[in-house]
Amino acid sequence: MKEITNKIQEIATRLFNEDQVDVFLAWEQTGEEYRVKPYFARSAADVSNIVFNEYCIHNLSTSLLKFRDGSDRIGLVVKGCDSRGIVRLLEDLQIKRERLYIVGVPCTGMKDPLAAARNQSGFNNKMQTIDIARKCLDCIQPNPVIYDELIGPENPPLLQGERFAKVKEIENMSADERYQYFEDVLSTCIRCYACRQVCVACDCRTCIFDEMKPQWVGRETNVTDNMMYHIVRASHMAGRCIECGECERVCPVNIPLMLINQKLIKDVNDLFGPYEAGMQYVEGAKPALSRYDEKDPDDFL
Amino acid sequence: MKVLDKDKIESFLNRLAEDADVFVPMQRGPQTGFYSWGTYDEDHDDLMLDILNVYIPPKNIMIPPHARMGENSNEPGDRIIFGIRSCDVRAIDLLDEVFLTQENEGRYYKEQRNKTILVASACYYPAPSCFCDSMGANPVEPASADVVIHDVGREGYVWESRSPKGAALTDTIADWLGEKEIIMPQIPHLSRGVDFEGVFARLLDYSDLPLWENYSEPCQTCAVCIYTCPTCNCFDLQAQTWRDQGYNFNCYETCMYRPQSLMKGLSNPRIAARERFRNRFLHKLQFFSERYGQPLCTGCGRCTVLCPAGIDIVKVITEIKEHQQPK
Repeated sequence: MKEITNKIQEIATRLFNEDQVDVFLAWEQTGEEYRVKPYFARSAADVSNIVFNEYCIHNLSTSLLKFRDGSDRIGLVVKGCDSRGIVRLLEDLQIKRERLYIVGVPCTGMKDPLAAARNQSGFNNKMQTIDIARKCLDCIQPNPVIYDELIGPENPPLLQGERFAKVKEIENMSADERYQYFEDVLSTCIRCYACRQVCVACDCRTCIFDEMKPQWVGRETNVTDNMMYHIVRASHMAGRCIECGECERVCPVNIPLMLINQKLIKDVNDLFGPYEAGMQYVEGAKPALSRYDEKDPDDFL
Repeated sequence: MKVLDKDKIESFLNRLAEDADVFVPMQRGPQTGFYSWGTYDEDHDDLMLDILNVYIPPKNIMIPPHARMGENSNEPGDRIIFGIRSCDVRAIDLLDEVFLTQENEGRYYKEQRNKTILVASACYYPAPSCFCDSMGANPVEPASADVVIHDVGREGYVWESRSPKGAALTDTIADWLGEKEIIMPQIPHLSRGVDFEGVFARLLDYSDLPLWENYSEPCQTCAVCIYTCPTCNCFDLQAQTWRDQGYNFNCYETCMYRPQSLMKGLSNPRIAARERFRNRFLHKLQFFSERYGQPLCTGCGRCTVLCPAGIDIVKVITEIKEHQQPK
């Protein structure tokens, strides 16, 4: 990890000295090993603050949305999942490729800084060992799919076993059991919308949940409105979710959001595929549900 | 000293629940919070009296996440919050300031508050993320608690009543308490701290601080900090309508999202993340101090632990303090 940090710092310094970027997105250490946070370096003098360690789990491609209206040239460090996020933003025309200088880091699986922070707090009864984050165990693409520079050799996917095992388990339940399952997990939602905020695929300027006139989704924290929220959120993610798992990671009440997303990934692939969101950047390409094909299934009509 | 036997805690809670609605810290599924003992289900819930803090703060008991307007949603009868920590007791004190003072009286809040008995649990082993003593709370002396219980290990809980309400409660359960001499544990030392002195004055000309820019950059304005904060108390008025029927209700609102500051004519003074981020800290550290003479933070550490981007209020306060006054 130390070599990767050095390499990133070297690249960032070079980019600033050659005036290729105005801002460089990476991570900064703010305390104990697990206390890392996204960091926006603005000059060569800031570069020494940049670190890369196994807690750099945050998806920096989401932060690109903060720059979509400007003209700043941006350098950023991406892991496999984050790079798929960039493809997503490019496809949605949120940012121009020329403005980006992408430094790819093949990922070996990250540890969750939130889990580590909880461990060191009064919120966990017992100390737990901090292993690879749950979201990384489902990873199928640890290597960046789009980059200008790649640091280190490519890594094999972390996913062990069957990809949609848990989804299939839920599919095999009876309708009543399934309803009960989702009622249980979604009734705990506190509607903080953190899952929406950290999502790179959520790039709408005005979100349906923020609309007041008309108000599409009620704001009460009950099962009806919670389900409405989650169904709308999930279906907006269909064909767009790049499986970075940030939504599930940040959820303060641990709702299994990736399970819902994975179901949609599976369905989009089965019905409109083969399709995997953000796997390669082809100029002008659109996600599966943003284009029409005569072969698209229409049995429901 | 009056001591409550640890082995009997569940039957003791059953006893309390006969006269009142008792809220205890529980792990329920993936979530931890204060839930009614009446809804305790052995298969799904874990009683967690030894946990320092739960994610969902007790403000959810004092101010329900959503409530119909003009309707009293308060359940009749007393309510006891059992095992609440010093920081959260202080948070309720701060909510009292908002809803019970300066001629802004919340009718339902007042009713709720008057029949709430706080049985606080003293913290002898604060976590590395705790900094409550810097924000005016004492971990082992919860200021406005009615009863304080001290966990003294195998000996049980030392029971100490602190107010007339607490004394009345103690009388009703007197036969559950034994008499023992106990050597009390040492007063803990908190490893984290922050000096709030001077921060308020420094913030009077807040707009120029470079930290708003630096610190708001990683912030995804996700509002986890707001919803898990025991003191954040903004609410919104909304309507639910269906044909010719409907009702108004209030629900939690957060300054991290744009609709809060949206005004007539679609003008919005807090459109950028930086401004929303700044507003959160100014409300906590400046506006509230200006009005009530104390900051709106109790040092529970929830936001510093749960922030997905690793933003830390202690660092923000320190940075404000250390920032040099421009000449």
